[in-house]
Amino acid sequence: MKSEEIYHAWKEQKSRVEVGADFCDSVMDQIYRYEGGKKMSLFKSYRLIEVVSAYPVAKAAVIAAGALIGLGRVAFMVHILLFT
Amino acid sequence: MALETEVIRRILEGDIESFRFLLERYEKPVISMIRSITDDRESCEDIAQDVFFTVYKKLASFDPARSDFSTWLFTIARNKSLNALKKKRVFSASELPERTDQTNPSDCLTQKELFERLDGELQVLPSRQRRAFVMAEIEKLSYEQIAQIEGARLGTIKSRINRAKKKLRSALAELDGEAV
Repeated sequence: MKSEEIYHAWKEQKSRVEVGADFCDSVMDQIYRYEGGKKMSLFKSYRLIEVVSAYPVAKAAVIAAGALIGLGRVAFMVHILLFT
Repeated sequence: MALETEVIRRILEGDIESFRFLLERYEKPVISMIRSITDDRESCEDIAQDVFFTVYKKLASFDPARSDFSTWLFTIARNKSLNALKKKRVFSASELPERTDQTNPSDCLTQKELFERLDGELQVLPSRQRRAFVMAEIEKLSYEQIAQIEGARLGTIKSRINRAKKKLRSALAELDGEAV
């Protein structure tokens, strides 16, 4: 067999790949589990952070709520100090 | 291309099952590329699974204006393969495959043996040359695509491929001399 023929036959053989019969199904299962997990874990803290981080309006709402709570606490403390 | 763009749009709209089309189209070239880079038949499907899962998760960030889907996919496959290699420290000299120049000239080499020797020669090529060669000659990607995947200039890629071809052909010429 000539070198050229061997070289091309080798390249041809390298490009042939046997893929496990269940490869696609395994990947799709993994994806479905991932999507299912996303829906189920909506109320887990890390998932909530992920969701809030993805939407600027939600981020603004969380910051505003935090600021309001902080101001409320300050007002409450001032009220206690001055009027009790 | 247009079909792929349409499929990607459907996936992003929530039709998860459409991802199977991309999987079936690219499973073989991706696995072949991973196998050639890592030289690991055992774990190449695991790495490929990770590649496709990552592709699915990052699909929203794919920009068709910047590259073809296949270029983007092969870039992820390349990076995952290199990470897998780093983890296994395959690059350490002690674990590199043995060179094939320890042959007895009187050996009669069968085609299978010649292929194995060529596989060995491919694995001892510098990794950049090997990757460029595999993408061009085995996966039949265009030089432009390879340049994008490797983040290198077109001329550099051509030169890497030419050097790899030259080394392999010269190794083959030596081996062929031994074959009867």
